[in-house]
Amino acid sequence: MELSTSSHPALAVFPLLTDKEFDSACHQFLHRVHVANESLMGRLTVQYAQRAHGPILSITRRISHVSIPAYDSQSSVDDSIRERYTYTEAYEDDPEALIRTAEPSVGLHVVYDVLLSPTYQVPVLYFNLRPTDHPGPLGIDAVYRYLVPSQYRKELQSVGVMGGISLGYHPESGTPAFFVHPCNTADAMRQIAGHRRVTPETYLIIWLGLVGNRLGLQLPRDFFATDEMRGN
Amino acid sequence: MDPKASSSLGSIQKAVWDGKLPLHITLAPSESRTFDQTDPYLISHPRIAYLPSLLPRLRDFFAPSLIHPTSRPHEGWFSFEGVPLKWHYPIGLLYDLYAGADPASKAGGTEPDLLSAAGAADEDPLPWRLTVHFSDWPDEELVRLDADGMVMHDAFINSVKEADFLRNGTAKGIMALSKEDSAGLWTAVRDVDLPAFQRISNILLPPPNQPFRNVPVRFFLPLPPDSDSPSLKVVQSPIPPVIAPSSASVSSSMSVAASQSLMMAAARGAPQVQTVGSALHALLPNLFPSRRTPVLAKPVLHGAAVPMAAPVEELVRCSAYGDGWVYVVVRMMG
Repeated sequence: MELSTSSHPALAVFPLLTDKEFDSACHQFLHRVHVANESLMGRLTVQYAQRAHGPILSITRRISHVSIPAYDSQSSVDDSIRERYTYTEAYEDDPEALIRTAEPSVGLHVVYDVLLSPTYQVPVLYFNLRPTDHPGPLGIDAVYRYLVPSQYRKELQSVGVMGGISLGYHPESGTPAFFVHPCNTADAMRQIAGHRRVTPETYLIIWLGLVGNRLGLQLPRDFFATDEMRGN
Repeated sequence: MDPKASSSLGSIQKAVWDGKLPLHITLAPSESRTFDQTDPYLISHPRIAYLPSLLPRLRDFFAPSLIHPTSRPHEGWFSFEGVPLKWHYPIGLLYDLYAGADPASKAGGTEPDLLSAAGAADEDPLPWRLTVHFSDWPDEELVRLDADGMVMHDAFINSVKEADFLRNGTAKGIMALSKEDSAGLWTAVRDVDLPAFQRISNILLPPPNQPFRNVPVRFFLPLPPDSDSPSLKVVQSPIPPVIAPSSASVSSSMSVAASQSLMMAAARGAPQVQTVGSALHALLPNLFPSRRTPVLAKPVLHGAAVPMAAPVEELVRCSAYGDGWVYVVVRMMG
């Protein structure tokens, strides 16, 4: 990964991020997304908007063809998906079932919202995992199963009262959401970036690699290899 | 801080922890075998407690009436006038936010309060009438609880960490607590055990002669009357405990970020104590055009109107909720 370190001023209070730096980082990130070839972004869509509680960088990822038996049995939402699926299977002889099975069986989508924490002054990740076409969010078991890569599961589950993923309320919508508690983010950023002078965008991308990778938000590798990224 | 001041802070803290609300809790009619004829559960409960602490006894009390007798205590949730109540806020805060009761205040300034209270006499806010549900959890609005209470404990500790980070500029305070003390802090708050809380809180808080870096305060704004949004508008910005006197006059047209950085910059000059009024004026200049007098709105904490001149750090030291935060509800006047 080649990241520009010269064209923008270094951070004022690294490893913290100011409102202005966060805004600048998000704008540059969005610009990079726009110039990137669409095929690079694949199933990710990115938005950046000013909201009542401050700006939010919102990344949506679609996951298709999730195998049904893997769903949790605890949540009622999962049950209703399974019911729907069972319904499809049970009526396999029904000619109408052809229409149903032509669609992707069950799709999921994740909305990752990146905000600047007013307390910690580092980015904080809120996210929800939902079945497409279904209103209810999925539970923590589904998050570990479908989003957290296996090599990170143990690490994430072993910290804090109930692991590194907490349940809380999205600051903007006030609705339930998962979030990664940001109290260790500043230390982790310092360890990774060291005393290198990083720009706001580099900071954001390192942070996305640190936090996003653990929650299924992988940016395409080629995304960083465009001309833009070489600091031209 | 002299011993007298610190002993009066101690007595305020005791009053806050002793504060109770009379609650009148009914079972959701749709879940009751006798529809709306179920006897209510009446209790005087600590303001600083959390609603789920009532669930085991409510589950027992309503057990004979439940249509679905298999439901479990942690499946219980509360609503007020149809609004699901967020269980991670203390009961007293929820009451101050939703019940629409006028805060207690000193004699002299109460005339408008008396008038508005007379107008709403037919809707006495006390006892506070809540509905408990044991099914149909509102997933879009409330985070689910678990049987072991881990979700609540985690939410509490996250909130404690934030307060700690604001006070010290690091999260090391809570990290330095022993595992027993960290768990003990939650137990003390859950059980509303002030002596046990004070012992651990004294380890966590900087000593009185060492000022906070920032003061953990959140302001809850009134929602417009026509709003359907379940979301509460919360304002939070790092608030240092001292400011310089010259800074306040220019802030009326500034953004929150700008006024905050001004507060920080001003702290390098001749320090002046940050009061509730100066913080509100800096963060919400339209609602609080004056630092000394509530004009359009007033700050409410633990059911009482907070004096605008109260120093924010002292306010936090004596009247924070169990998680270390002061949650001030901004109420419109008139």
